[in-house]
Formats: sequence, structure tokens, C-alpha cells
Amino acid sequence: MTAQIVVNNLHKYFGNLEVLKGISLEIEKGQVVCVIGPSGSGKSTLLRCINRLEEPTRGEIVVDDITITDPKEDINKVRRHIGMVFQQFNLFPHLSVKENIMMAPLELKLKTKREAEQKALELLERVGLLEKADAMPRQLSGGQQQRVAIARALAMEPDIMLFDEPTSALDPEMVGEVLAVMKELAAMGMTMVVVTHEMGFAKDVADRVIFMDEGIIQEEAPPSEIFTNPKNPRTRGFLDKVLSV
Amino acid sequence: MDLGKVFGELNPLLLIGLKMTIAVTVLSLILAFALGLVTCFLTLSRKPVLRWISKLYVGLIRGTPLLVQVFYIFFAIPQLLQFLGFDVRLTPFLAGLITLTLNAGAYMSEIFRGAINAVNTGQMEAARSLGLNHGQAMKKVILPQALRICLPSLVNQFIITLKDSSLISVIGFADIMYQAKIYQGRTMQSFATYTWVAVYYLVLIAILTYVAKQVERKVKI
Repeated sequence: MTAQIVVNNLHKYFGNLEVLKGISLEIEKGQVVCVIGPSGSGKSTLLRCINRLEEPTRGEIVVDDITITDPKEDINKVRRHIGMVFQQFNLFPHLSVKENIMMAPLELKLKTKREAEQKALELLERVGLLEKADAMPRQLSGGQQQRVAIARALAMEPDIMLFDEPTSALDPEMVGEVLAVMKELAAMGMTMVVVTHEMGFAKDVADRVIFMDEGIIQEEAPPSEIFTNPKNPRTRGFLDKVLSV
Repeated sequence: MDLGKVFGELNPLLLIGLKMTIAVTVLSLILAFALGLVTCFLTLSRKPVLRWISKLYVGLIRGTPLLVQVFYIFFAIPQLLQFLGFDVRLTPFLAGLITLTLNAGAYMSEIFRGAINAVNTGQMEAARSLGLNHGQAMKKVILPQALRICLPSLVNQFIITLKDSSLISVIGFADIMYQAKIYQGRTMQSFATYTWVAVYYLVLIAILTYVAKQVERKVKI
């Protein structure tokens, strides 16, 4: 059986700037992969190519045996199975917490109103925010908003979750509550790709850590290896900087 | 200069005119809202031809005075059509309605475009990442927010169109302004007549502004 996510020689240009310079990787079902690296290294771009929020310039991406880089594939169908969580949460400010979670399943006619509401409340309970069901997003703290955003993505019952620096916009005391929800997801066997600066999370939860710099994967290894004995001098340099603080 | 005496005679006439002013303004604003939305979507379209059409339309409206547009719709277009063999005659009401609709529609499309662009790009990405297509994301996520954003500018356009409707009196549309001109011509009471006309418009716009403020408070994000 092939891996759940296969990226093959992926290139991405923004104008003349080559942001991804030939990325290849495979992620098995149920794996948690953390992508680390300095800013501007292309890690977010890589993540956003996996659900084609960024259009890859060249190369191939296969998710669940569907070649999503093939223009003939209906990307909207594929995206239903790939949840995404953003650095800035991007909750819909005109909808209540519950409506945020119910919107996509209802609009895509995957659930009746009753089913969607049931599911929304179930998910809110799971992320510990049941009492906020009828609140508006602006009334929530950053950490709470991000947990709602995770619940919103889960409402589509995805089998892959992409996280784009999910804790980078949070006050430090709120990072823990979001990571806890993510850990629980990982424990339940969700395939996860996490772009993060949380080295602690990567150490504890990741099956594999990918270090990216200058648009290429410099090193990939289990966390036990990469954090204690990085082979690439760039990896070592980066980790020295972020772990010494 | 007797404001009170003039009011007694003028008020019944202005009330008749008021109905026409309100009718043409409200109807044209409803039509212009739809026209503005469609034009806005053309402007944002990926097809260059559609963008080109909307740009031409908005450019023509913005580049010509409203008074010229009124005359164009009422006199010029019917003559052209007659020359082409169609016997089309517009009533002043219909000509006024068409002109105000075309005029407000162009400005509204720009208001909508600005508001849609003002919605954070992350909103579209979040909606698309859930599997919604572009149209669904527009309908459920972008437009509801854009409408809230553009409400103040939209109300401003309502006020402008209400005031602009007074210009249609020049082609014989019997609105507030038309009634006032007739009365003034008969009595030569210029000061009193136009003072009351100004008061009429002031009150109308005060009411509109008040209602708009209430709506704005209700739909605030």
C-alpha cells in the first residue's frame, strides 16, 4: 500500500522566487509529521500545497491515491478530507461558534441541520468549549478560537489534518490548551502535518520531524534522532538557536 | 416672504411630489443593488471580456454628469431607437428610474468591490479549505461580511441617490422639486418655496440616516 500523502519533486515559484526547490516526501496513514525550520524556508508553502491553497508550479502530490495536482481532479471534493488549521484561526466572525462548525457540512449537504448541530456540540465538548456554543468568535480568547477552528475542521470528518503554525499567534499561556487538543488527535490516529515552532510538541508527539531550509528538506528523522544528534550542520545551527532560549 | 402662508399652499403639492420622489428613489435603489452586485462580480471575474464590460459601464457613468445621463436616456436613446425603426417613448418616470438605477448601480458596484476586497483573505482560504467552492464561499462567508463592511458607504449612496432624484424634475417628472418649481413660477415666492423644499429633503435624509444607524448597530460583527 502506498503512503497517504506522497509529494514528488514539488516546485513552487512566487514570480521569479523559487520557494520550494524539489520537495519529495511520504507520509503514512496515522503518522504525525512536524515541519520545522527558519521563517521563509518554505514550510508553510509546502503545507498549503498539500490542499492546493497554493498552486504547485511543478511536481506531483498524491493524497489518498488521488493525484490532486491533476487539474481534472475536483479539488473541492479532496479538500473535504483534509482539514486545515491556520495561524490566524480564520473563524467566520459573522457566525456563532456553533454555526462556524456547522456551516460547511450544511452548505455541502452532508448532514441535516440536526445532525450537524449534534456533531458540533460533540466536537465542542471534545475541545472543552461546549459552554461557548452560542458565543461569537470575537468573545473568545485566542486559544479558545483556535480550538474552535480545530473543531470546525474536524466537523468535515477529515482523515488528514494540516496545521499551519497553530500556536504562533497565541499568548504563551494559551499554547498549552491548543497543543493538548492536538495531542489527543494524534493519539486517536489522525494523520497530521504540523508546521510549528513548538519543539516540545515535536519531540513528544511527532513520529518524524522534517527540517526545511531554503526550499528543500535538509533533514528528516524521528525526533529522538534529530533533536539529539542532527546530521546536517544547518539543522544543528537552527536547533542551537531555538533550543538555547 | 411669508413662510407660514406659503407652507399652507405648498405642502399639499410637496406631499404629492414626495410620493414620486420616494417611489423613484426606492425602486431605483433596489434595482441598483442588484445591478451593482452583478457588475461587481463581472469586475472580479476571471474572464477579461466580462471585466472589460463592467469597467466600460462604470467608466461611462462616472465620467459623465447625471444631468447629461438623464437627457441621454430621455431624449437621445429614444431618438436613436426611432432612427433604427423602433417606436419607443419613455415616460419621465421610467426615464428617471432607468437613469438613477444605472447611475447608482455603477457606484454601488465599486462599493461592493471595495468591501469584498476588504474581507481578510484568510476567510476565503478557511472556507475553501473546508471544501466549499468559490461560489459557496462567496455566498456563506465573504458576502455576509462584505455587506456589513459596506453598509455605511451604501447608506451614503442611498442619500446621494435620493438627492439626485431631484434632477429628474428637469424632464418633467413630478417629484418634490418639480412641484416646487411650478408653485414658485406661479407665485414668485422663491425664498419660502425653496426653504420648504430644503427642509423636506433634510427631514427625509435625517429619517434615512436614523434608520440606517439602527440597522448598522444590529448587524455589527
